Amino acid sequence: MTDTPATAVDATLRALLADVLGLGEDRAAALTADSGLFGELPEFDSMAVATVLTEMEDRLGILIDDDEVDGEIFETYGHLLAFSVRKVAGE
Amino acid sequence: MSALEHVLRIAPAGPPRATVLIVPPLFEEANRTRRTLVLAMRALAAEGLSALLPDLPGQNESPIPLVEADLTRWRVALARVVDGIGGPVVVASLRGGALIDHAARAAAWWRLAPAGGASLLRTLLRARVSADREAGTVSTLGGLQAEAATAPLLLAGNLLSPAMIAELGAAEVQPVEPLRSVALGADGLAGTPLWLRAEPGEDAGMAEAIAADIAAWSRSCGII
Repeated sequence: MTDTPATAVDATLRALLADVLGLGEDRAAALTADSGLFGELPEFDSMAVATVLTEMEDRLGILIDDDEVDGEIFETYGHLLAFSVRKVAGE
Repeated sequence: MSALEHVLRIAPAGPPRATVLIVPPLFEEANRTRRTLVLAMRALAAEGLSALLPDLPGQNESPIPLVEADLTRWRVALARVVDGIGGPVVVASLRGGALIDHAARAAAWWRLAPAGGASLLRTLLRARVSADREAGTVSTLGGLQAEAATAPLLLAGNLLSPAMIAELGAAEVQPVEPLRSVALGADGLAGTPLWLRAEPGEDAGMAEAIAADIAAWSRSCGII
């Protein structure tokens, strides 16, 4: 999946957040790079973080080490997308 | 399953044509899907099928502490429930339920979105790491797994024995015959992956689709 374009990663990530957080398509589509996630969305608790990570691995075909996961990647949608795009590109 | 375990049973108005034993997803995923599964059971009863949803030892109303349970015990318990049912049984499992459904003597199997044990365990371990981080302590997946080799581990509210954690980490769905395995989505069943959902939800349309699919599969297997 190393050649997956960023737009496909973006679509996968929005669908995944909609599934895990129950956002509905409209709220998921309205997420911007600055939209806050962990600490901002009440649904985004530690269990949701765990579920999102495992689903990212399954749906994006990546492996995430726990030392790569810090609070920062879940701060905003933009951070999470940038992290995912980097992982998919194999960086 | 010992006679002590609670079984939720929804029976049709007349004599049942067959029994559908629902094997729920494991741990928190069971709570997230329970309401929709019970709606599916009502729809199955409307099709003339008896629907059973047993408590796994250590879950829900079970008198047994979860730390005494492991996948082997769950497989044996489900096999005993099936042995106690008169007439043909279709075993219908969701997600991690598919890891413990193969020891039962069923006439047919149906699986929705079967999940691997390693991936379920990874999510539980990560929830612990994430909760620890919020509490200001540092833990790692590897460190927790090493700890779990010798002592029970508390993962997302579940106190799990070393045997449970070892079995879960290695568990994969086993081949059974005849089997219909369905995924969610365009080429499978229409619905939402409620088992992932942080807040409980329900999906009445998916419940109807689950019941219709199980009934159709039972018909094509010649069971009803």
